[in-house]
Amino acid sequence: MSRAKRVMKELQGIKDDPEAKVDLQLVNENDIHLLKGSFLGPPGTPYENGKFLVDIEVPMEYPFKPPKMKFDTKVYHPNVSSVTGAICLDILKNAWSPVITLKSALISLQALLQSPEPNDPQDAEVAQHFIRNRESFNSTAAFWTKTYAPMDSVSSGETSIDQAALYGIDRTLLDQFVSQGFAEAKVVEVLRRLGIKSMDANDNESANKILEELLR
Amino acid sequence: MKVSGKLAEGSDEDDESLILDFESDSDVIDDVDNESVLLGRDNDVNDSSDSSCYESGDLSGNYLGFDQREKVLNPGFGDNTYDDDGVPKLNYNCLTTDQIYELMVSRLERIQPIFQLSYGDIIVMLQKYAWSEERLLEDWTEDREKVLVACGLEITKTVSKSRGIQNHSDFLCHICCESNKQKTFRLECGHEYCVECYEHYIKDKLPEGKIITCMSCSLALKNSDIDEILGDNSSQTLMISSIKGFIQKHSKHYKWCPFVDCNCVIQVSNLSSLSEFPRLHLSPYVVCENQHRFCFKCGLESHSPGDCQVAEQWVKLAQLESENLNWVLKNTKECPKCGVNIEKNGGCNHMTCQSCEYQFCWICEQCWNGHGGGFYECTRFKKDEKLGTAETKNSLRKYTFYYKLFSEHENSAKLDWNLGLTVEQKVKVLQENIGISWIETQFLSESIRALIEGRTTLKWSFPVAFYADPSHNLTKIFVDNQALLVSAVEDLSQLLQVKEPQNIIDRKREFYNKARFVETRSKALAGCGRDLLCKGICVPFQ
Repeated sequence: MSRAKRVMKELQGIKDDPEAKVDLQLVNENDIHLLKGSFLGPPGTPYENGKFLVDIEVPMEYPFKPPKMKFDTKVYHPNVSSVTGAICLDILKNAWSPVITLKSALISLQALLQSPEPNDPQDAEVAQHFIRNRESFNSTAAFWTKTYAPMDSVSSGETSIDQAALYGIDRTLLDQFVSQGFAEAKVVEVLRRLGIKSMDANDNESANKILEELLR
Repeated sequence: MKVSGKLAEGSDEDDESLILDFESDSDVIDDVDNESVLLGRDNDVNDSSDSSCYESGDLSGNYLGFDQREKVLNPGFGDNTYDDDGVPKLNYNCLTTDQIYELMVSRLERIQPIFQLSYGDIIVMLQKYAWSEERLLEDWTEDREKVLVACGLEITKTVSKSRGIQNHSDFLCHICCESNKQKTFRLECGHEYCVECYEHYIKDKLPEGKIITCMSCSLALKNSDIDEILGDNSSQTLMISSIKGFIQKHSKHYKWCPFVDCNCVIQVSNLSSLSEFPRLHLSPYVVCENQHRFCFKCGLESHSPGDCQVAEQWVKLAQLESENLNWVLKNTKECPKCGVNIEKNGGCNHMTCQSCEYQFCWICEQCWNGHGGGFYECTRFKKDEKLGTAETKNSLRKYTFYYKLFSEHENSAKLDWNLGLTVEQKVKVLQENIGISWIETQFLSESIRALIEGRTTLKWSFPVAFYADPSHNLTKIFVDNQALLVSAVEDLSQLLQVKEPQNIIDRKREFYNKARFVETRSKALAGCGRDLLCKGICVPFQ
């Protein structure tokens, strides 16, 4: 069966080329249908110093049908769902060609992290954040990278993740409501639901809306 | 091609630039026809202009188009834009996707000298440009290199390997990673893979209808390459898919016949007359080769006497109300007398219960006595005086009443269609057993056609009645007309139930008369319905 041969050869090809800094492994030695790939975040981006894991499912018709890929590592990126890790990339859909390999697909994902496409988003909320406030987006993405994709894969103990940084919410805004006696998790939930990341100090209308939601 | 050249400049009917040249050709001919009428020239002039087109080089190119067109134009060659009833003339062809593709290919001979390329190359370019010669020519004159690269006919790097299937003793294919491959395929780019992989790749791409390129770069595979890899005529599948895409994109000119399993495409050449129809509360009906009649504007079946707006509103309403009316659609009814379940298996509404022999009308479930005569009470909606206050309830009742009638006649029409198939058999039996000629049995299929058209008219008259102002006198006339058509249709339908072949022949005159009567009644009802629409008595809103 050509699929098995091809996948085995691709695995070998990646082993022979450590320079590419791309890794690919079978999840189970006896099953060429499921793989796990990983690559490093491109330098000069908020994803720098992160190691991103990708779940790969190779269909029966591979290489004539594209492999199914999704991020296992949580990524804050306009073209990646922040919840499921689903990826919006043309070569994994209609632009697939049999000459594309799993390695080149992973490298394309790396390139996608380098240059997001906010006009064709997978995650609308993240894309909004990207378009409206690039700086705040970058710091959130960098925080996600540090939290979820640490290089040395030592689990950083997910006990106390800074919720404000995680969702790109202004710390002072969060504290303002926490100091009024609301639970932090609740405030974060409401702010996310309302899509408010930061607020002008004089914006009473928004403040009232937030309070209303909190008191509900 | 002098005539066409001259008039093509002046014809600005085509607001859309994406049209085929052979369309504008037929437009041109229309212009000639119209002009000749205006100038009072006789038909000989038309003929000669037609034949001059024949002679001037595109004989092979357009013969199909002409063939089809003649069929449409010939009846009533006293040619003008309106026929006797004041209905705008619609010139159309019935084609299949294969024929459309053949037409495209037959055009190649004419445009080939412009490009100085092989037919295969031009087909690829046309495919890229969605079969629009005009757009292609425009870009071609501007920058031919760009067009060639965009269509994948040239590559920027010059590698120039030999093209086609290659033979090797031991080739390692990078797609399937198998070695020992003997047969491979490559284009000039030199990206070479085994034939099996190419087969698989192409088969997946054929239904998409887009240009298939080399697996590694943008160089295009031509039809000859596809045929070389997959065997004879495989590229036809790709072309047909591409044409289907073309039809979808040009829905203004082309419509699929909406009937199930019918593969006909109707191409309307004089779009300008299409805009005439809505103003006159008429609809542009077309008939495909399989005798399916449908409206070119809304794609529904023939919905006369209603116009497209009535039909659209009615269909919308039917979708909204369908939940309430599921029970109406059940196929069986209980005999009003003995309660036995009865399934309707023919078009006729005159039911006779098999168990108690009670005769009743399928629609109103009343005794048949009194139905057979001139009037047919159940087409009239009796307004419930007692419940006049409950406005909404009444309007739903009103709708339910008309919808029931509508769907009854729809079902009857379907059954009549099946009846038509058995009639065909009857015709055969008649020919074989009694030994009469085919032409003499035509009255049967004529009758069935009249019956089905009558029923369709009747069916669509209920939406008109529903939307019409019931207090107006014309509406009353309309309802009377409806009743007349109902009894005419039922009479004919009953006649067609006759099974004994000799009996059928004996009653031939009766068939003729009743079919003719249905036709006249249908026409009268359609005219009356149009009157209601034109005078604003029937307004389809709610």
